[in-house]
Amino acid sequence: MNLNTSILKYIEDVKSGKFTVEEFTAATLQRIKDVDEDVHAYLSLNDSAINDAKKIDQKMSSGEKIGQCYGFPISIKDNICITGTKTTCASKMLENFIAPYTSTVVNHLQNEDAVITGKTNLDEFAMGLTTEFSAYGPTKNPWNLDYVPGGSSGGSAASVAANECLASLGSDTGGSVRNPASFCSVVGVNRTYGLISRYGLISYANSIEQIGPMTKTVKDSAFLLNIIAGQDDNDDTTIDNSNVNYLDGIENGIEGKKIGIIKEMTTSDGLSSEVSAATKDAINDFESLGASCEEVTLPTIPYTVAAYYTITSTEAGSNLARYDNIRYGYEMDSEGYEYNSYISKSRTKFGPEVTRRIILGGFVPSAGHAGKYFLKALKVKSKLISEINSAFEKFDYLIAPTAPVQPFRFGEKIDDPVTLMLLDYNTVTANLTGKPAISVPYRISNGLPIGMQIMANSLQEKALFQAAYALETKTKLPEVPL
Amino acid sequence: MVDEEEIIRVAKLMKIDLEDHGEHVSRVKKMLEYFDILDQIDLSSEEITSQQKSLNELRKDEFIPYDKKLIESLKNFREHYVRAPKMN
Repeated sequence: MNLNTSILKYIEDVKSGKFTVEEFTAATLQRIKDVDEDVHAYLSLNDSAINDAKKIDQKMSSGEKIGQCYGFPISIKDNICITGTKTTCASKMLENFIAPYTSTVVNHLQNEDAVITGKTNLDEFAMGLTTEFSAYGPTKNPWNLDYVPGGSSGGSAASVAANECLASLGSDTGGSVRNPASFCSVVGVNRTYGLISRYGLISYANSIEQIGPMTKTVKDSAFLLNIIAGQDDNDDTTIDNSNVNYLDGIENGIEGKKIGIIKEMTTSDGLSSEVSAATKDAINDFESLGASCEEVTLPTIPYTVAAYYTITSTEAGSNLARYDNIRYGYEMDSEGYEYNSYISKSRTKFGPEVTRRIILGGFVPSAGHAGKYFLKALKVKSKLISEINSAFEKFDYLIAPTAPVQPFRFGEKIDDPVTLMLLDYNTVTANLTGKPAISVPYRISNGLPIGMQIMANSLQEKALFQAAYALETKTKLPEVPL
Repeated sequence: MVDEEEIIRVAKLMKIDLEDHGEHVSRVKKMLEYFDILDQIDLSSEEITSQQKSLNELRKDEFIPYDKKLIESLKNFREHYVRAPKMN
């Protein structure tokens, strides 16, 4: 059974009877058994996956209506709720938390007959870029197990790259879908803010974060977005996408389109020579596809990482206040504790990065400091939005490498908080402005992946997929050596 | 320059027990020092933008029945009440 296949090819094969849903699911579960001890993409598995698959086979054989997914296996980041299953956010704080309801995105998938394989690893509460901050140990990069898979949706990216599922849902706050997609050579999409419901996504920085598809091909991401996008009564920030079919016209190409190469992201100090070289080649590819490329400057970009961390920490400080070990939490006897000291003591179960973000989140918006940090950060956001809107008056797309560097070894950057923050340099702009962005696998250099990021204007996902697909046709990447 | 005492005070307000987390202060300080970059950008003509939604766009304010007793998923409860530590 070839597990290195796309969702669309899988659906074709199941429809033509090449294999059953049960056979493919069983092979996928076997693959997980074979490689996940090394990769550690999953935190928990869905025990009823085989039964779910059998039910879909039965539906097919009895001629019942089948959902669009035809039972393809998909993993879900462990900060997205599914009724009756553990949702840990890779935190000891939620070690035994059983979700009492199902997120809207998973509801959509289940209604369309996808098979959930399990829940994937992340940096604790999605705060990090390497999965090294997971309380349950890091995920390894399937391209080289000594290297980080990116984060925070590192488990999701690795599960797709290692053929432990055909797709995954991650969440992107500052690059948490696109960064691991780039590091593991899969496609990762962060769409217009509000396009996908956040209902059932455990909040970290809700004004910025969004759920996003992670797949092996651009077409698969468009297919998945068709299923999960749309307005939701349970999330008032969702917007109407007028039922756009993102696969329609995906092969139309980008002849005559104008592409802006973001200067600040392609000439920054932190950019590695390999990533720089790949970017130049990608620009040539875009030109050979008939697009015209020109440098564009967005002068606010050097301030975006500080603004992003200020805003997200503030929201984290507020969102994570609910973890007081009274409503959610783990077994800890309250006998002998005063109210506040009990809460403080129980919160020592938070890992180091979450602890620091909560402290920061108290500091930057506090009386006496808000003017220096939080209010300025919000103004940086406004300024960036104006700049990018003017850029999109001239350009159809804005491009840059997804990450300034390739995957690195475990432990290499974890000790320097500023170096870690700067890994987000090329990705936070999309989050702060709410614009859609996609990371497309572009090259394997020295055995490690490099991804290219394409951004488009709000609600221009269809055009975004067209450019991403066009670039994908220019690449020929090796199979993962695992 | 950020005062370490100030970080410790804020941590306490955020209910973070710094007896066990003292090593975080220097790292938080480093992050705050990086945020000083925000002093270098001219924002004098910028306004803070926000998204607005009118009341009629919000979901109806109505009771949605839930078939399970959520309180039973908590570790400490008695009848309809959550058990919490004593307040001084």
